[in-house]
Formats: sequence, structure tokens, C-alpha cells
Amino acid sequence: MSERASDPSELMHPRLIAPGAALLIAALATDVVYWRTLLAQWDNFSIWLIAAGLVLAGAAAFALVVDMALGRIGPIAWGRFAGFALAALLSLLNAFVHSRDAYTAVVPNGLQLSALVAVILLVLGWRGWSLQAVPRPYPSKPREARS
Amino acid sequence: MTLLRTNCALAALVMLTACGQTVADPSTQYGETPELPAPKQYIMPPMQVPPGEGWDKGQTPVVPAGLQIRAFATGFEHPRNVYVLPNGDVLVVETNGPKAPIYRPKDYVEGKVKALAGSGAPAGNRILLLRDANGDGVPDLRSVFIDHLNSPFGVALVGADLYVAATDAILKFPYTPGETHISAPAVKLTDLPAGAINHHWTKSLTASPDGSKLYVGVGSNSNITENGIPAETGRAAIWEVDRATGLKRIFASGTRNPTGLAFEPTTSKLWAVVNERDEIGPNLVPDYLTSVKESAFYGWPYSYFGQHVDVRVQPQRADLVAKAIPPDYALSSHVAPLGMVFTQASRLPASYRSGVFVSEHGSWDRSPLNGYKVVYVPFRDGRPNGPPQDVVTGFLSPDGARSQGRPVGIALDRSGALLIADDVGNVVWRVSAVG
Repeated sequence: MSERASDPSELMHPRLIAPGAALLIAALATDVVYWRTLLAQWDNFSIWLIAAGLVLAGAAAFALVVDMALGRIGPIAWGRFAGFALAALLSLLNAFVHSRDAYTAVVPNGLQLSALVAVILLVLGWRGWSLQAVPRPYPSKPREARS
Repeated sequence: MTLLRTNCALAALVMLTACGQTVADPSTQYGETPELPAPKQYIMPPMQVPPGEGWDKGQTPVVPAGLQIRAFATGFEHPRNVYVLPNGDVLVVETNGPKAPIYRPKDYVEGKVKALAGSGAPAGNRILLLRDANGDGVPDLRSVFIDHLNSPFGVALVGADLYVAATDAILKFPYTPGETHISAPAVKLTDLPAGAINHHWTKSLTASPDGSKLYVGVGSNSNITENGIPAETGRAAIWEVDRATGLKRIFASGTRNPTGLAFEPTTSKLWAVVNERDEIGPNLVPDYLTSVKESAFYGWPYSYFGQHVDVRVQPQRADLVAKAIPPDYALSSHVAPLGMVFTQASRLPASYRSGVFVSEHGSWDRSPLNGYKVVYVPFRDGRPNGPPQDVVTGFLSPDGARSQGRPVGIALDRSGALLIADDVGNVVWRVSAVG
């Protein structure tokens, strides 16, 4: 694997995972507002955020395949991949839950799923949105990672 | 078999569907005290969509011995109601709902499903007149009676005033017996709840026996308040409109979608058929036939059949749930009763002359399917007396995979035969006694 091939700035998939994750995390916020206000518009916001997040998740999966096909990506962190895939699957389930009518579209199952997805994405995203494995030892500072 | 069962269990776990469960027969849900299972919240509610494909040439619905059925007229654009004028002329209302807004991805999917089932077809949005002058059951004259209406449904004639319930107003037209086209402009009697969502758009209509009042059925603006409770103002109710002044009031409420209204002739009491809520199970909630008690509350959205609370509606209203009364007669779940006519004036065999015909459009919100037929509910002393009997069936193909037609509005013609508007087959059927 060449040094250029594993340059994170060359990768396509993180640019799609990041906004997709932002939408799915935002759905937790709109769910909470629905739960507290019972105003139907917030439930509608949630389902559109989840639906758009899923579209971006699909696009990100495609981008990852492209990154791999073009040899731009180094070794893949399969644990992180599994985490993002789980978040996408739970969000798909959540889209069906959010397609119920009125209260039970959100409370409690929709809210629980949105919270679980948000936690998974925030934990995984703390280190960035790339699925490229980071060379060990695991860097604690950006400076070490570059050296 | 084991694999199948495992898959079913997995599907039930993941999708929370009714997979593998047997659904109690509709006959457990007829009459005053239907069996009501516990409500469920689904990931994917049980449904079955039979594509609406129309009739093959010469093919008809099926009637029992003693009756015969023929196409009275064909070639309509989504006929949903029939009304018979005193001189025997038959009005056919070609109509469909206004374009439904897409507020959620689900609305888009439902639009596609309805189109597949044959409910999305373009409609004339007009009323046609058919005249069978020689009484042979085949009309010899067909004309456009009233054109350019806004999703009309109910029709009622009182004296020389013809009332049409468009989706947003009751319109009054002057009618002279024998005329085949009304060109006089409509006079608006009163506005009706419509607006941008207008989920259940049909407005059923009937006049009181003395002609002084009109009764209009206004359906809910959602399945179960998913468009917000403020959107339900004035909806899921039966309104009483004073014919002289146009002033109106809510006569009864909590009736989710009262699609048919009629006065029982021996008692002069108002009756309605009502479509209940979806997505909490194949046997919830039974649609019903009921006498309409003045100022009564029938539960929607907060509860059904009395005090069975629907948790999907929040904030809940214990005060209204306490007031809710159960309807008189359950027809079983998801049959979608869209029309009714009392049969005292019918000339069908005597066993059909003291009750009510109810047309069941059928629904895709249930698997196995239910409805897709016209039934007869016998009455005694002005009350239902016995289970519904199948009168017109065969709207579904034998394997249930597709619908050839779906019955909607019904009426008795001047000779006492039953007319049925079929909005998938685009036919008006005529059922008469043999011989």
C-alpha cells in the first residue's frame, strides 16, 4: 500500500458518513422535542432525518466500495465498519417504527432506537469518520499519528 | 417446516408482525359485542394489496339463488356513488379525492399502494345521469348532469332542491323533474371541513324524513391523529345542517369516518356506517353500523367500542373516554363499509326486505382480506337482528390475489332493484329478483 493511497484526505466515504451521521443524531433531538411537546411536526422531522440519513448511509457504502476498488484505502477497521453498519440497520428499523401513526411512532421504541444510534455514532465518530485502520500503537495525539 | 417456523419466529422478533398467528374469523366480530383482541404496535402492520384489475368481458359479481346481477352501465371514471331520483333517473357520482400531500415518506408509499389497489384512478369529478325509460335494466340515455365538482360524494334531493356534498361544501342546485343536465350555478349552503390535508375526503349526505335538516358525515383528517389533534377540528363527526339557513352543528362525534348515512324507515332514526382505525391488528378495530344518537361521542380518536383506549393518541383525554358509547353493531374489522341503504322499498325476495344493505369496499390494511362484498343485515323492530349475510360477492378473484371490482355507494332503483357503484371495475351493477 503506497503512502499516497492511505492519505485520509483522498477518501470519499468519510465525506458521506459524516453528514449522514449528523442527520441520524439530529433525529434524537427532534424525537426528544416530540416526546416533550407531542407536536406531530417533530415526529415528521425525525422520519425525514432518518430517511435522509439512510440515503447517505447507502451512498457512503457505495463510496467505500469505490475507495476500495481504486485502492485508495489502507487496511479497513472492520470493528468500526460493523459499528456503522449496525447503526444503519438500527436506523432502518427505526424508520419503520417512525412510520407508525402518532405517539407510538416515537415513544418509546423510536426514541430508544434514535438514542442507541446516536450513542454508537458519537462514540465511533469521536475518532473521525474514516474506516481506515489506524496504524498501531493507537495514537493518543494527532502529532504521534503523523510521525 | 422447522426452517419455516424458525424464519417466522425471526420475522416476528425482528419485524413484530403477526407472522404465524392465526387471525380469528370475522364472524367473531359481528353484532353488539365483538371480540376485541389486545392492540399491537407493529413495525410492519399486516397487509395485503390485491391489485385492482377490473372485470373480464362477461364476468360479474356473484349473487345467491333467487337473485340475478347484470351490469347496469359500464365505462365510468371511478364511480363511487349512486342516487336515484323520483322519476327513476339514476345519478352516478364519478369522483376521487384531492391530491394527498406528502408529509412523511409513508404518505408516498401509501399513494403507490392505493394506486396499485385501484383507488388512485383519475375520476370525472362530475355527476352523470342515466335513464332507463323502458325499464329493461339497460339505460337508453346517458348525459352529464352536473360537471366540474370538487370531489363530490353525497347527493340528496329535497323537493326541487338537489344537494351535492362536495369535499369542501354542500352545494344546492335547482332541479326540475325530467331534466338531464343542470347548468344553473350552484348556491353554497355551507362550508364543510376540507383544507390541505383532507385525509378522509368523502362527505356522505342524507336528508331528514321531513326535509328540514341535512346530515353530513365528515371523516377524520388522519388514521389516528398523526397530523396533530388541531387538524381534527370539526372532523370525525356527523353534522346537522339546517336546510333553510345553512346553520350547522355537530350532531354526533367520535365517528372516525362516517361514509354512509340513512334514516331507518320504520323508526325514522338516523343510522350510519363508520370506518374505524387501522394498524393495531387484523381484528382491530371493527368497522360498524350504528344508530346515531344525538350529542353522543363514539370514541375516536381516544378510544373505541366504549372505553378501549388507543395509546397512540396523546395527550389522552380520560374525560372523553368516560363519555364514549359503543356503537350498535360491529361489521368486523377492515371491511370498509362505504355505503348503506335500508331495504323496505326493495323488490328483492321477501327475506331481503326488512333490513339494510351495506357495501364493503374492502381494505388492504388486513391480511387475510375482509369485505369486498355487499352484505344484508336483517332488522327487527328497528334494530339489527342477526349476523350479516353475504349478498353480492366475487369482487375478489378466487385466490384473493387481485380485485376485479370494489363496491362503494349503493341505492335502490325505482323498480326496487339494488344498484352498486364499483370504482375498480368502473361499472354500476344492478341486482334484481329472478323472474
